[in-house]
Amino acid sequence: MILPKFDYKKAEDIAAAIALYESCKGEARYLAGGTDLIPLVKLRLSTPAAIIDLKGIEQLKTISRKGNSLLIGANVTLFELKNHETVKDYFPALYESLDATSCETLQMRGTIGGNILQNTRCLLYNKSLDWRTARGFCYKMGGETCNVVPNAAACFSNYCSDNALSLLSLSAGVKLAGPEGERKIKLEKLFSKDGRNPFTSKPGEILTEFHIPFKRSTGAYEKLRVRNAIDYPLLGVAVSMIGGKGKVCVGGIGPAPLVYDLKDLSGAGLKEVAQQARQEARPVSNTTLSAGYRKKMVNVLTQRAIKRALKEGK
Amino acid sequence: MKTINVSFRVNDEPVAFQVKPYETLLETLRERIDLIGSKEACGMGACGACTVIVDGIPLRSCLVLTPEVNGASITTVEGLAKDGNLHPLQEAFMEKGAVQCGFCTSGMIMTAKAFLDRNKKPTQKEVIKTMSSNICRCTGYKKIVEAVEYAASRRTSVG
Repeated sequence: MILPKFDYKKAEDIAAAIALYESCKGEARYLAGGTDLIPLVKLRLSTPAAIIDLKGIEQLKTISRKGNSLLIGANVTLFELKNHETVKDYFPALYESLDATSCETLQMRGTIGGNILQNTRCLLYNKSLDWRTARGFCYKMGGETCNVVPNAAACFSNYCSDNALSLLSLSAGVKLAGPEGERKIKLEKLFSKDGRNPFTSKPGEILTEFHIPFKRSTGAYEKLRVRNAIDYPLLGVAVSMIGGKGKVCVGGIGPAPLVYDLKDLSGAGLKEVAQQARQEARPVSNTTLSAGYRKKMVNVLTQRAIKRALKEGK
Repeated sequence: MKTINVSFRVNDEPVAFQVKPYETLLETLRERIDLIGSKEACGMGACGACTVIVDGIPLRSCLVLTPEVNGASITTVEGLAKDGNLHPLQEAFMEKGAVQCGFCTSGMIMTAKAFLDRNKKPTQKEVIKTMSSNICRCTGYKKIVEAVEYAASRRTSVG
């Protein structure tokens, strides 16, 4: 598929990237691995006047330890991060979610920052312009309706990052740099919970870094998918446990992940969290699997992930 | 719209072009230098038929803008044969009959080459995992996995 016209610019550092963004008057998009952005541009779902390539920024490619945190640059590729010496030992949920992301070739191209900032997806949204014009535009394309659920008040597109779930379970934070300066927020605060515009980052902001508390955890990631490679999660559950307490994150359903604290580790406690997640998850018929099946699987995969996380801890 | 000057190496030959900023590497390879071994199938980065090796890393060339690879060293399937002899992987694919319609084959071979370059003695599980990066719609995966394993074993026996 042929790309629409846009200009290409390469930034050498973060300040230069932001200056380039401002010179494009908000009509630009940042490019990291491009595995999410380029297909969106090909489908005319994003039509930037310019693309600003961030891959030349060395600062964004490093993994380091500072105090009690592991700092991960946003342009570290998923494959590099997966094979980093500490990830498998200290953050098994993150290791498993990285390993479950797409396939190895795309892991070598896709970056952790881009993976977190990927757009939400829907069977009736990720389509060509001709297809979408014939069907009529939905909320997420600037229209007045949802094409999946008639008369719905909100957008039901799904946020399909595997690694956001494991990073949330590890209480990660993110650093953003933009025209108004730098700020650090918890990863939870990055999600707007609105499928039309799923992130709270401001125009021109670049996600520069993740920080994870450097404590050894046990954990697991469970993913519902129809192939065992390349596909997006139709449901994902990440669990991380540190010192008898845990966090459970459920995603792939709706525009933002759901996060639960796990305090009661008894059998009844696990079932309660799994049941609550199942009740709160609101899948609709916008993926290749039915909504009813995905809802049932929330309960199943949540229990499975918690049990695996607990077993590893012993 | 203005063009961008890019220069890089393709199969050990230096090349330089003035490209459109929105031109993909796949378009450049196929349309400017007639390297039509890399195929466009899905065009969305899902299938892997367009895989080429850029600085040792297998990439979906349909997702890469040509200006992004300025200064890089690129290997396509046309660059594998040396002095009239096919690459061991190409021979293995022929010998094991790992080709049905052939559309995915060049992408499969490039993914396998990058993999065998970094993993000299792969297990069957590792081969399957890596080759799952590419889609074969004839679903001839078994023979493809056999061919990659065969090429790996021949390579280790040669040294």
